[in-house]
Amino acid sequence: MSKLKDIIDRNRAWYCLECGKCSAVCPITPWETRVYSSPRLLVEKALNGNLENIFDDPLFWSCLTCKRCSELCPSDVFFSEFVRDARQLARSNGRSGDCTHGEAIQTWARMMTAPDLDQSRLEWLNKDLKISDDSDTLYFVGCLPYYDILFRSLGIEGVEIARAAVKILNALGVEPHVLHDERCCGHDQIWEGDTETFSALARLNLERIKATGAKRVVTTCPECARTLSLDYPKLVEDHGLEVMHLSRFIRQQSPDSEMNLSLQKMDGTATYQDACRLSRHLGVYEDPRALIIATGLDLVEMEHMRHASLCCGTTGWTSCGKVSKNIQVERLREAKATGADIMITSCVKCQIHLKCAQQDPELGQELSIKIRDLTTVLADRL
Amino acid sequence: MRNGKIIVFTCNWYAYTGLETAGRKHLQYCPSVYPIKVMCLGKLSPGIILKTFEKGAAGVLMLGCLPDECYYTFGNRHAEEIFQVTSRLLRALGYPEKRFKMDRVAPGDGDAWLEKIDSFVVGLNGDQGSS
Ligand code: SF4
Ligand code: SF4
Repeated sequence: MSKLKDIIDRNRAWYCLECGKCSAVCPITPWETRVYSSPRLLVEKALNGNLENIFDDPLFWSCLTCKRCSELCPSDVFFSEFVRDARQLARSNGRSGDCTHGEAIQTWARMMTAPDLDQSRLEWLNKDLKISDDSDTLYFVGCLPYYDILFRSLGIEGVEIARAAVKILNALGVEPHVLHDERCCGHDQIWEGDTETFSALARLNLERIKATGAKRVVTTCPECARTLSLDYPKLVEDHGLEVMHLSRFIRQQSPDSEMNLSLQKMDGTATYQDACRLSRHLGVYEDPRALIIATGLDLVEMEHMRHASLCCGTTGWTSCGKVSKNIQVERLREAKATGADIMITSCVKCQIHLKCAQQDPELGQELSIKIRDLTTVLADRL
Repeated sequence: MRNGKIIVFTCNWYAYTGLETAGRKHLQYCPSVYPIKVMCLGKLSPGIILKTFEKGAAGVLMLGCLPDECYYTFGNRHAEEIFQVTSRLLRALGYPEKRFKMDRVAPGDGDAWLEKIDSFVVGLNGDQGSS
């Protein structure tokens, strides 16, 4: 109980006013029909102190930690962080969420904690892409080479994103370090309560990043950006590295977003899917939009956008099911309603989840819209 | 964290009946081999195979039915896809190819079962063979 009390204290759950604003906007609440489940009610259960009641609540495991509720909470209850911390407690009590994809992704992350693992994760590099062992910038690739294998059948972009990132960095005059022995950043492990695996992964990554001498880490995955910039310093080591998503870096290097090159303009209309980790977690809303506009594409917004945007339906490869699917379908319908030719995302997981929902044979046409990553769209113009 | 176990996933209809025949004939095979019966290899997943390695298996063999003879019609096509995806994941993780293979046995063929197991074990252990 005292552990739960600490978690409640740390995340300001005492201050809940029971106003229910969180429940009104939570994307899970309307679709979770087994039992009534909402963030407000979960806070109440936490304050009542019965651990089993908390861990049995479906929202406890399906919460996307998307921070949509935190945007509105008048009392600054850190609901996502409360869920994150309480999931660690749940795990120590032998509870965990339902892993999807046969736990493949969690398993490879645990396998990556082996210090002597000799991965071949850089096969996507080609002779046109310039990398260097002497650079102040490191491109952190994340799990792209692995997602590429597991989700290729969904027609996703995997290693294409990594190639596009290096191509863009090269165009900006940067030849980045790329690690052959990088590990999963550990994002999902923190948010699913597996701190042991997280710490092991983070230590291995930091050791290797620091050995390169790089001062700056650029990522194409919002989760890697969040984890390396916020969670590594807090939970593992204050590494002093500058960490940012590629969209931020491009704009820093080239404020006119033109990447210092005279690039051909693109035709058509695009809508932009804010990834929760990049937007609400890291506050990056403008950079991807400015880059899309700079391509010449017309940017049109979906009904839920920016701070109020709708998440892609699953976090941490856990609890994917009917609720996730409904959220994804809702999001794709919003994208279709804009009339855009393309939906641009900044996170490979958004792309995987939304493309998975598009496989539905009944809804196929209704949800069909081209989905691509910002990085590959930008690199196409180079 | 190797535990030296060699896991052989056998499909209920072909490979497992081969194992039964091998058993009836008192054929001997490497004691590190642990056959696990599944109704169809198509019900495995990359996750379960990765987990087998995570838990320390020295090798994993998927032993199933002959092409186009799947009891469930499409199960072995599915198994082939699972094998391909998992092989690529393991390759990326740095595991040598010899540690994960897929092969086929005719129903009730105990000698073929033994031969497949032996050649997998020899491939894994090099010259030491099935010792
Ligand atoms: S973080 Fe997102 S999914 Fe979780 S309760 Fe808040 S709004 Fe709902
Ligand atoms: S929005 Fe904040 S104060 Fe209102 S019910 Fe939710 S957690 Fe409590």
